[in-house]
Amino acid sequence: MNLWNRLMCYSRRHSPWLFHMNGGSCNGCDIELIASLTPRYDAEQLGVRLEGSPRHADILCITGPVTHNAVNAIKTVYDQVCGPKAVVAIGSCPATTNVFIDSRTLDGPLNRHVPVDVFVPGCPPRPDAIIQGVAKAAEILAERASKKLPVAPVVMPLVGPGCEGACACSATTEKKNEEVQA
Amino acid sequence: MNLFLELQTALARLLIFPGLLFAVPAAWFFLWVERKAVARMQGRIGPPFMQPFFDFIKLLGKSTPPRSGIAGILMRAWPLIAVSAAAGAVGLLPVLPASGGFQGDLILLLALLELPSMCIIAAGFSSGSIFGEIGSAREAVLSVSYNIVFLLAILSIAASQHTFSLQALAQLPSSPLRWLGIVAILVCLPAKLHLNPFSLPNAEQEIYSGPMTEYAGPELAMWELSHGLEWVAATGLAATLIAPALTLWWVAALVFVALTFAIVLLLSVVAAATARLQIDTTVRFYWQCTLIFAVLAVASALFMRFRA
Amino acid sequence: MNILTMMWKNLWGGSRTTLFPARPKVSERYRGLVRFDPALCSGCAICKMRCTARAIEFKAGKGEYTWSYDPGQCTFCGRCVEGCKEHALSQDSECPPIYLTIGELKKSYTLKRKPPVKPAVAPPPPAAAAPAAEPIPGGTQ
Repeated sequence: MNLWNRLMCYSRRHSPWLFHMNGGSCNGCDIELIASLTPRYDAEQLGVRLEGSPRHADILCITGPVTHNAVNAIKTVYDQVCGPKAVVAIGSCPATTNVFIDSRTLDGPLNRHVPVDVFVPGCPPRPDAIIQGVAKAAEILAERASKKLPVAPVVMPLVGPGCEGACACSATTEKKNEEVQA
Repeated sequence: MNLFLELQTALARLLIFPGLLFAVPAAWFFLWVERKAVARMQGRIGPPFMQPFFDFIKLLGKSTPPRSGIAGILMRAWPLIAVSAAAGAVGLLPVLPASGGFQGDLILLLALLELPSMCIIAAGFSSGSIFGEIGSAREAVLSVSYNIVFLLAILSIAASQHTFSLQALAQLPSSPLRWLGIVAILVCLPAKLHLNPFSLPNAEQEIYSGPMTEYAGPELAMWELSHGLEWVAATGLAATLIAPALTLWWVAALVFVALTFAIVLLLSVVAAATARLQIDTTVRFYWQCTLIFAVLAVASALFMRFRA
Repeated sequence: MNILTMMWKNLWGGSRTTLFPARPKVSERYRGLVRFDPALCSGCAICKMRCTARAIEFKAGKGEYTWSYDPGQCTFCGRCVEGCKEHALSQDSECPPIYLTIGELKKSYTLKRKPPVKPAVAPPPPAAAAPAAEPIPGGTQ
């Protein structure tokens, strides 16, 4: 890898710019994300900047189980973020819809709509856990620049083999329990 | 021969000192100083030293959205115009003692200092986004409000010397008029550099990123660079007005760097201590409170001229 | 002027930031990951019924059962800990780690059902045995 590529990897690792998007959350995770910019946790020591426009950001931080109203907005904003990009799902809602598991107003976990790189569990996750998640996403961006990783994780298919619990339906959890028992 | 000498000095001042070779690292340094000082005053740690440089390199590696039509060409052109204007303004600063060759003019310096904010306004409108338009409208109102004070102050200093040459400005005699003008210019600097309390065009919570909303990648890197060069040019102008006339060129350069650093720290203290003012409060501040000092400066300049 | 004295104190008092990757201490009452002790579990599945987020799954089989817990689904409310009669579940103050694929943190345990403990038979009361042990008086007169 020549000097320019190494410089680019180093810069992507040390300059993660965030855009925060709320996909229908209760705002608990949003408050903890803002709290990670306060003096006690200070995300700026890693070079993190909370940007005002999705076009400026590298890392899209999404909170909340994805409600019907939010699906199109999330897809639009994901397309507006300019590559190379990474997505961090903050809280347990975007990963597994948490307590809202049977709700009629939801459209499934986040990785049905956008490819997610890092999941930060917690309800809400602590601000230091969120900063760890953002640092891991910055590392992933740097590794993609150095071609150690494939370009982007794929969006999960909806049903059928390989869906791997993309929606938390009972059929797949039964299948998982059988696999675990065997 | 004369033309060759002029070209040589012009290129040296534009490219080496205080031009690009000094100004671009100084721009990154000043951006870092402001972020670090504000962070320390807020009880945080702040970014590491090379942070603006890494931001710049990272932005160069990002892709840009497709742009089409005349608006697309214009959108790509505005950041380049802003960077060249700011770099030219830095190159014109009368830091070193006069050595012949291309000297420039106060009118040229003021025009080059104005161009970056004109480019921001035009960029917001040509981006076609509603947030860009609102941000550009706010930037335009801000520009009208502080420019009156800024231009009156600097023109009154020039009028008292009967000349527009920059070397004469660098060697001003000490007088109350000079200090009145310097104070007026320092008061306009936070608005020029979009710092708190006059950071309205970049109000993230209200209008996303204002004029810069649709910009990405290398274009955004150029905007950040032009912002940093504006820092160097504006603080450099105030520093050359404050600095006494010196003969040794390296002493003059050191004093210039020290004074700009002090002004950057002063602006950081103001930025950390204040909150963002609304647009009507900003305009009222510049037109009611500070205009009186600019008018006093002009009046005293005219008075001195007609007495002399 | 208040803000300026505050800024002055911040400048000379040092920052209160925890340097990455260190993490600040949490209090002992912080509700973090749920810990399972397989030795104490009796397989009553009350925790699965009380779980608000369906993070705990329970599948009963012949003579054995599977208990699994997914921290990525958990909302750390503590209802399972409150409901467990055998005190097999407890919550400590450790936060769940970040992960990269869904289901990575899920842990399952397959346990054999313990044999039921028969209730102890009560010994006969001592007053009924005593007259039988006494020699019957007046037999030889």
